[in-house]
Amino acid sequence: MKMDSGEILVVEDLVKYYGAGENLVRAVDHTCLQIERGKFTAIVGRSGSGKSTLLHLIGGLDRPDEGKVWIEGKDIFALKDERLAEFRRKKIGFIFQDYNLIPSLNVWENIVLPLGLDNRKVKRQDVREVLEKIGLTDKEETMPDALSGGQKQRTAIARALVTRPAIILADEPTGNLDSQTELEVMSLLKNCVKEFGQTLVMITHDEMIAQMADRVIEVADGKVVSD
Amino acid sequence: MKMTTRIAFNNMKYYKSRNILIGIAVILTTMLLLVVPLVGRGMIKLQFAVTDRLYPAWHALYRNVDEETVRKMAVHHDILRYGLRSDAGYMSLDDASVGMIYIDETGTQLYKMELLAGTFPAREDEIVVSQGILKELGQEGDIGDTITVPYQIFRGGELDLTQQKEFRICGFLEDSEANYEKRMYTSLISESFLKNEVPESEVAYRFLFQIADEGLTATDEIEDRIKNIAQQFDIPEKEMNINHEYLMANYVDPVMVPAIIMIMAVVVLAGVITIYSIYYVSMNQRVQEFGRMKAIGGTKRQIRQIVLREGLCVALFTIPAGLLIGTFISWGTMKWFFRYAVSESNEQFVETAMDILESGGVDLYCWWVYLLACAVTLCTVYFSLVRPMHLASKVSEVEAMRMQTAGKKRRSRRKGYEFLSVGRLTVRNLTENKKKSAVTILSMAATGIFLMVTATVLSCADPRESADNTLVGQYEISPVIEENNKEHPERRWSEIQKDNPLNETLRRQIEELSGVERVDAFSVLRIAGGTFSEEEYQAVNGVPKEYAKELERGITEGGVTYEELKSGDKVIVDSALLHWHPELKTGDKLNLTISDGSRTFEKEVEIAAIGEYGSGFSNYNYLIMAKEAVDRMSEYNSDNYFHVIADKDYDETLEQKLDEIVRSSERVEMRTWKAAYEEWKAALGITRGVCYAFLGILGVISVMNLINTMINSVHVRKKELGMMQAIGMSDSQLMKMLQLEGLFYTAGTLVISVGLGSLVGYPVFLYAKRNGMFNISNYHYPVTTAVTVTVVLLVVQIVLTAGISRSVRKNSLIERIRFSE
Repeated sequence: MKMDSGEILVVEDLVKYYGAGENLVRAVDHTCLQIERGKFTAIVGRSGSGKSTLLHLIGGLDRPDEGKVWIEGKDIFALKDERLAEFRRKKIGFIFQDYNLIPSLNVWENIVLPLGLDNRKVKRQDVREVLEKIGLTDKEETMPDALSGGQKQRTAIARALVTRPAIILADEPTGNLDSQTELEVMSLLKNCVKEFGQTLVMITHDEMIAQMADRVIEVADGKVVSD
Repeated sequence: MKMTTRIAFNNMKYYKSRNILIGIAVILTTMLLLVVPLVGRGMIKLQFAVTDRLYPAWHALYRNVDEETVRKMAVHHDILRYGLRSDAGYMSLDDASVGMIYIDETGTQLYKMELLAGTFPAREDEIVVSQGILKELGQEGDIGDTITVPYQIFRGGELDLTQQKEFRICGFLEDSEANYEKRMYTSLISESFLKNEVPESEVAYRFLFQIADEGLTATDEIEDRIKNIAQQFDIPEKEMNINHEYLMANYVDPVMVPAIIMIMAVVVLAGVITIYSIYYVSMNQRVQEFGRMKAIGGTKRQIRQIVLREGLCVALFTIPAGLLIGTFISWGTMKWFFRYAVSESNEQFVETAMDILESGGVDLYCWWVYLLACAVTLCTVYFSLVRPMHLASKVSEVEAMRMQTAGKKRRSRRKGYEFLSVGRLTVRNLTENKKKSAVTILSMAATGIFLMVTATVLSCADPRESADNTLVGQYEISPVIEENNKEHPERRWSEIQKDNPLNETLRRQIEELSGVERVDAFSVLRIAGGTFSEEEYQAVNGVPKEYAKELERGITEGGVTYEELKSGDKVIVDSALLHWHPELKTGDKLNLTISDGSRTFEKEVEIAAIGEYGSGFSNYNYLIMAKEAVDRMSEYNSDNYFHVIADKDYDETLEQKLDEIVRSSERVEMRTWKAAYEEWKAALGITRGVCYAFLGILGVISVMNLINTMINSVHVRKKELGMMQAIGMSDSQLMKMLQLEGLFYTAGTLVISVGLGSLVGYPVFLYAKRNGMFNISNYHYPVTTAVTVTVVLLVVQIVLTAGISRSVRKNSLIERIRFSE
């Protein structure tokens, strides 16, 4: 696969089916995609259109039936599980709809967890900077249970940013938030991505959010229908 | 179906994996609750069946009863039937011992005595013998043939001079292997022979009888009656012999039932702890669900019912499985027990037991034990659900929606690590769930403590030590002493002193044997009078200087040095004497009448100390002095024991050589350490078997608990672990984290069970020692058990973690992140 220097992510003929016979679900059906470095891409589609599966495959959380995913020129599914996990924590930042914070760790610890798993030194200043950016400087020691939804998602964003990954994958990050908070979180996310020069791929079914993106890809029945 | 029942049933299916865990716990609990009473009951019944076959049927016998008393006792209303036995004397043979006994007809029935051939003796010259006896006599003969028998009759409390008489053989008894081995036999003679030989005033009967047992079920009630009758006829306690084995086999032993109940209580406790901890661990996950149920109108009672019925549903499906497995295991345990645990002890007993077991002579299974196991298991499930029920019903709707546990205030802030590693992540996890970690560790440690305590008692009950206590050195050689035998006046101690076979020649002879390190002589002085008038042959034990340290070490009260004991004015009293004379204390003076050879003299001694000594050391004497003092007071050679210290506990060649010396002398006899050891080993065999079975049960519970805990702790955190993996935790890091967590639980369990178990074990040992359980004398730390427990727990934990993380990895990351149970 030839890769353009501007492309950070290339999806090549990706296939993922669930079930069999009458129950066969074509979650991702021969999908091809290229995403440029430093751009904010929104993937939209109805519920059940396969956008989440696509995102999970891009992030290496699941393995496809066929096809390849290249991130920064690396065929991620050629990696063994152990290497893939390493690759994920170095190159990919995840943000989930239900935050997925570790309840036994406080805000600071949740943020530095990916660094710890990677045996990387924590640069206090860098983490502080991120905390400041997301506006949680005074919540360093707060436990996740004591945070509001918006604060939780901001913590999750900080966690995704702190390793300075090549690409951030967000799965409806504002789905659980009220509209006011949604806006706050979105602008924060967009600003951060811009400032740190990162690539953001986000799933949403919110028209307004999709409009904030540099590019919108629509998915239906496992296929890209418009770009 | 009621709504609550239907929800409970659906919940059971929905939370399948957790309920499978609980199911396993219930199966194991049911199984143990069935196996313990089944095997316990089976063992008792089997033992009874064996006893019924092997032991005589009399409840008790009184010795030395005269004709007059027999006539009076015969009509006593508490006596169902009675038999008579009288020992007329012995055949005069060199090494073998052949008793000549008269037993009446009821007596033969009560002794379950059956002839191999012929009839019981009726005429004065009739005799029943065995092939072994004929061999010892060096004669041959069949029924109707005449044999010549040299014999000594008991007259006036002594064996009289040898006489000779011709008898006609009228029947044969069978010889057992023990008869041949010990060369001890019994011949039967007629009543008329007894009355001809022994003057009527001197005939002493053994009165064997069965108690009229209407309305009596317990052994102690029957024993009370036996003692009662003895009192009415002034029969002293030492002349009474109660057939405990037979009584126990036919009546309920009041100790047995509590023992079984105690073991079952331990199982119930372990079951409650295990099932409760599973519920406790998973309860947090389900708070939301119960909150929702409340929000749509469920009452507290309904929620309690849902939790209870879910548990009972699981029990309903698993109890039958437990009963089925238990049924098979009971049978296996019984056979295993007899094959391996008891096989060292009494062979005849084991053979008979196996015979009865295999021929189906004992009905192992019984409906009420099954009912009991069901009922107790259901109670166990109920008890373990009480707290979860309470917790679930207390959940408030609002709290539940916010995913928080009822009544539990989580901290909102906490200082954290600046940098996280896998190790620190583990620490966080464990400290954040302190209560859960503590419940887990305590529940596992509880069974561990039981295990260590039992092991402590077991390790203290050492046949080697018991043998050491009964015998100093490896061989003990002493003169053959017989005070009341007119035929052998030279065997009286007073005569032996004048020409003691334990002399320098014998000592040198033994010391020259290879393997012998040295020979230590203990001397004695016979005493009478004063405190000891009742004891027939008491003596002062003279301990040689080589044992000075051991002597001083045994002192428990007062103090005296070996040097001071050389004066002969001071003695150490063995604490066993205090049992008979509790008024004695240090500083008291004792007036002793000492007999030495033919002379006697008075001597006053002071009790300088009280001590505890093994019977091998004290030689069953209550007073101890330095050998030097004893030797000085005696005009003769008063050495009573040669203790042979050898380089090995058992050396066949050495024993043979010593045996030859003993045989050739004809005036000395020998006891060996090996024989004492074997005897103790056999005696402790059954106890050990029972204890090991109990330890096994506890071990299974412990491991079960560990497995449950480990699976649970991972299972309920599947999603959290998935999250960590999504943000980059690799499989090996996950494995490491789970191993560390497991290690923490294991280490915590080990520290508490081994640590606390060892601490508690010591007072239990002291209790066992004070009560003379298993002849325990010294404390031994159960090293083997401690090491085994440690290794087993560690291995189980490591294997388990590997297995669990593999099973976790079977689900894809996505499945795990979405996992919501």
